[in-house]
Amino acid sequence: MPCERKPMRYGHSEGHTEVCFDDTGKFIVTCGHDGDVRIWENLDDDDPRFITVGEKAYSLALKNGKLVTANSSNAVQIHTFPDGEPDGILTRFTTNATHVTFNTSGSKVAAGSSDFLVKVVEVSDSSQQKTLRGHEAPVLSVTFDPKGDFLASASCDGSVVVWNIEEQAQVISWPVLQKTNDVSNAKSLCRLAWQPRTAKFLAVPVETKVHLYERESWNHVTTLSDDLLNQPINVAAWSPCGNFLAAASVGGFIIVWDIESKLCVERQKHEKGFTVCGLAWHPSGSQIAYTDTEGCLGLLEGFRASVPTTNTPKVPAGKPERGYEDLFDDEDDDQVMDEGCSDANSPAKKAASGVQADEEDDDDFVIPATGRVKNRGAILDDENSLDSGSLKFGRPKFGDDNDDDADSAVMTAGPLPATLRPVYEGPQPTPPQKAFQPGSTPVHLTHRFMMWNSVGTVRGYNDEQDNAIDVEFHDTAVHHAMHLTNSLGHTMTDVSQEAVLLACASTNELASKIHCLHFSSWDTNKEWMVDLPQGEDARALCLGQGWAAVATSTLIVRLFTIGGVQREIFSLPGAVVCMAGHGEQLLIVYHRGTGFDGEQALGVQLLQFGRKRRQIINGEPLPISQKSYLCWLGFTAEGTPCYVDSEGVVRMLNRSLGFTWTPVCNTRDTCKSKSDHYWVVGVHENPQQLRCIPCKGSRYPPTLPRPAVAILPFKLPLCQTTTEKGQMEEQFWRSVLFHNHYSFLSSSGYEVDEVGQSQSQKEQQELLMKMFALSCKLEREFRCVELAELMTQNVVTLAIRYASKSRRMALAQRLSEIALEKASQIQEEEQEDVTEYSDIRQTLEDERSQELEEEEGEREIESEDGVEAPKRQLQLKFWMGCMQVLGSGKSSPVSCHPRVKNILDHMTPSRKLAPLSASAGKSNRSPVLKPLPPRAKGKTQEILEARDDQQKKADAPTAPSPICVSKPTLWLEENRKNITADHPDLEETDIIKEAMGLFRNLSADERLAWTERAKGLTGDVKDLKKRKRTEAGGGIENEIGQLEANENDAKKKKAMDPSSKLSAFAFHKD
Amino acid sequence: MDPSEVEFLAEKELVKIIPNFNLDKLYLIGGDLGPFNPGLPLYVPVWLALNLKQRQKCRVVPPDWMDVEKLEEMRELERNAATFTPAPCPYYMELTKLLLNHASDNIPKADEIRTLVKDIWDTRIAKLRLSADSFITQQEAHAKLDNLTLMEINTIRGFLLESLNCMYKLRSNLQPGSSKGPLADY
Repeated sequence: MPCERKPMRYGHSEGHTEVCFDDTGKFIVTCGHDGDVRIWENLDDDDPRFITVGEKAYSLALKNGKLVTANSSNAVQIHTFPDGEPDGILTRFTTNATHVTFNTSGSKVAAGSSDFLVKVVEVSDSSQQKTLRGHEAPVLSVTFDPKGDFLASASCDGSVVVWNIEEQAQVISWPVLQKTNDVSNAKSLCRLAWQPRTAKFLAVPVETKVHLYERESWNHVTTLSDDLLNQPINVAAWSPCGNFLAAASVGGFIIVWDIESKLCVERQKHEKGFTVCGLAWHPSGSQIAYTDTEGCLGLLEGFRASVPTTNTPKVPAGKPERGYEDLFDDEDDDQVMDEGCSDANSPAKKAASGVQADEEDDDDFVIPATGRVKNRGAILDDENSLDSGSLKFGRPKFGDDNDDDADSAVMTAGPLPATLRPVYEGPQPTPPQKAFQPGSTPVHLTHRFMMWNSVGTVRGYNDEQDNAIDVEFHDTAVHHAMHLTNSLGHTMTDVSQEAVLLACASTNELASKIHCLHFSSWDTNKEWMVDLPQGEDARALCLGQGWAAVATSTLIVRLFTIGGVQREIFSLPGAVVCMAGHGEQLLIVYHRGTGFDGEQALGVQLLQFGRKRRQIINGEPLPISQKSYLCWLGFTAEGTPCYVDSEGVVRMLNRSLGFTWTPVCNTRDTCKSKSDHYWVVGVHENPQQLRCIPCKGSRYPPTLPRPAVAILPFKLPLCQTTTEKGQMEEQFWRSVLFHNHYSFLSSSGYEVDEVGQSQSQKEQQELLMKMFALSCKLEREFRCVELAELMTQNVVTLAIRYASKSRRMALAQRLSEIALEKASQIQEEEQEDVTEYSDIRQTLEDERSQELEEEEGEREIESEDGVEAPKRQLQLKFWMGCMQVLGSGKSSPVSCHPRVKNILDHMTPSRKLAPLSASAGKSNRSPVLKPLPPRAKGKTQEILEARDDQQKKADAPTAPSPICVSKPTLWLEENRKNITADHPDLEETDIIKEAMGLFRNLSADERLAWTERAKGLTGDVKDLKKRKRTEAGGGIENEIGQLEANENDAKKKKAMDPSSKLSAFAFHKD
Repeated sequence: MDPSEVEFLAEKELVKIIPNFNLDKLYLIGGDLGPFNPGLPLYVPVWLALNLKQRQKCRVVPPDWMDVEKLEEMRELERNAATFTPAPCPYYMELTKLLLNHASDNIPKADEIRTLVKDIWDTRIAKLRLSADSFITQQEAHAKLDNLTLMEINTIRGFLLESLNCMYKLRSNLQPGSSKGPLADY
């Protein structure tokens, strides 16, 4: 029988447990040694409701909304179900009751106790009691005759007794059990079971077999056994239709027999082999729930669904009198069973042989399976809930079963029935996963995290007293904590540095609303609210920098500005799963189609707003682990899209490999137990941190006690990471991947942490060098060359040195070829750069000359403005630096020189550039992103560095910039001759150093004077002239005269530049 | 040694906090602290934790051992064992006092913890007194006590040393033959 054994889960503390289903089969109810009765909606229910019934619960029975339990206070209590309200005490014993059970109608309860008594009590009137005396030891179990006449009980005195309830007298007693003195010493719990509906047989577990006694005649008619059962049977339970008998043993085996054929149709073993002490059939007969003495709950699924419908006419009392001979002797005549189980759908009549039974299972299986799938949609976010894809299909499993059941030859030998209903055996569609907010716990929880991200946490409380939302910021500098009453029933939230966005679904009267608390607004209105059109529900939302996005049930994404202005609106190709925003990027995951066999078919879109609005990833499939679903979606703090699936695999976008997704971590690797999870709340690339909350035994953290964030390291799943080689490779590629964001940030105009970038490059090159050395040691020269190709030119030179030192001349030879190649590549790039720069320069000049004309008038007035001066100086410095570098650092100076001069001639400070240079001067290493005008600092800095390098490397005298007007340079110009005279042997760089030292030694007054003069230079010639006219200070005039002389001087020197630089370049190239 | 001095030493112990502000690394003589990221737990010395807590700049995460169940277990162990069991932390008394006085709102079941730690302390001090008593009555030359914390040693040191000195004096007076006479230092 193709039945699926679901994984066990923890239910109660260690000790005796019992299990039953409620009348509808909706709930599994268990009781255990911890005194709790737990009500599970399904096996995956992470948060079962519980009713505490006492210190210990020994037994339970459930019928008609009444929950009867036997507890350690020696009472048999009633609770209402499912509310769990105490509903009085049914009866008391002098010691604890051991087993309680309902009769078929639910009007009576029988309880057996350790004080040797069995009591039968009317549920409606607990004074109506009947006490059955006669056992000479504690009672093990009791069971009602479904027809209500008799009651059977088993006792530690070794007897199984059938009582006539009315007469309170023993009808018959079988001394079949082993004698013991107490229930705890009994080898078996000996749970008796009376066949439902027909009430024909009483099943008595005796040692490793189950004896069937016939009603009325009380003859022992048959014995059910199995080879696997080598330990005593604890529990027996009839299927609701009465055709099957399940029994569970101390050794953890669960066996199901077909009563007609007396053949075993199902064998399962407890996953750990613990003693099974509770067993219950689902009312539909499709599932068996069982519990063990360790307090765990398990479920077998996929039994034949032979449901006795309620409108089935009651079995006439006389029918079964036809005798069992009919049943077992006459194969053709299935009439009795048919009548006994007169459901039209009942497969019983076909079940003459095991094969047929199995075929039926195949048929029936499809139905409950799909039915289950529907349920699963609702509980999708629960653990294991997606393994509906792992539904076992009848056929293949059937073959396996045959091997197992080789002893039951009938099953294989039986002829296949000719008429089979068509069975769909192909892939099953997966229910699409529901939309969710990344970083939130499931909506159905009363206390939940509605959002936990890098900015703050939003907690939602939805219990009887209160429906409220608490917003708390990690950094209290952002905003103080907020407490909101949630009168609208918001279920979705996002929080950013600027605002809190909330949304609720529509109700009958109210439309779906979006509510934004824009706390960073500088006006007095700190919130706004928008109603979505009729019939449109918000499904997912997110906040970016200055915008908000809401995806709705009509497959539309609506964009708003953070202040509440409606922006773009666009359609999605499928139902949204979740969204995430960061800076100017919006990441949307949606259903691309229907997935099959547990897979989700997700698509992803990445949009970039800002100046250049574009779609970076246009609806490509989102790769997730097999049979998993999406758990978290977001951006790293640096702005790289990232997501986590239910298998715990974290994947990050690799922008340098055509927007592919690279797995960077598997959080399940670090989990100690199978049911532990990490709940991801944030990802940082620099430093490499995966911030998550460890959840013991669940997927989600509880709101209380307040969970603490843990940090996990990243690890690319490369091969052989235990070896040194693998480790280094992993480190290298991780470093490469996690520093991709630098190029992205600089390309999209953000400020970049240069120090970090160069450090990461250094780290990568170091790793390459190490790998190179390792390969060298292993005499893998080809590999060495491959590695060298990843290195920069400088490192290749190092590698050549290493190779030649370790006497690998052939390798060194090859490496030098690579070095040459790299050098020529760099040269090419530089040339490209030059053309690029000259273009930029051209445009800059154009702009400037325009501005020059425009500002001509203003100049006159503004030029004397003292406040402006430093700023202008800065700008000027910037431009000059820029131009100078363009001239000196990178390119052939011949073409450059006249340009530089040209620019200098009509250099005007442009006020537009002021903020640019200001922000370029600031160094902010925090991951907070600051948009910059394009290519501002990055390039200058780079070029400046390049120049420095060149100066150092080339060691050639480069003329100091004549136009650099900072005070020391100015001073240097003046005093150069002195210095050179003093130290004739000094190189240019040394001269500068020397000069700097001397300048520092100057008195404050002198420096101030130089500062003044430096300022004076910021204006252009016209300014100077004007100043000459307006200011009548002879000293200043002198100074200016001097300056002009300087400038001329400098220009002369400048004329020298090209040749020296050319030589420097040539030198460098060698 | 003063109890406040022992407390001062205890303030060097590291405790986990969750800051609610952003700050780069602090470079101190005793070592670098931080960086402080809002919401991200990190270990800082107790003195800093309490200072930040008083300025409402962080939440204190109680140490692992500061948990009702663990302390109950320890109390039972301590009560049942004849010798000293290893203390939950070398500065358990000081830390309990400091953290519960200044950050009791961050520690679940603070009152129970206070009682439990006091119980453990009382048990241990009682044992200490008992062993001191037997040490003196049996006139042993030396004794060895393991797993004592600094604070515990400190509570008994003053009294024990004084009384031992005193007894030594008395004894040497009783047996003039054993030494040259009363010791000059006293």
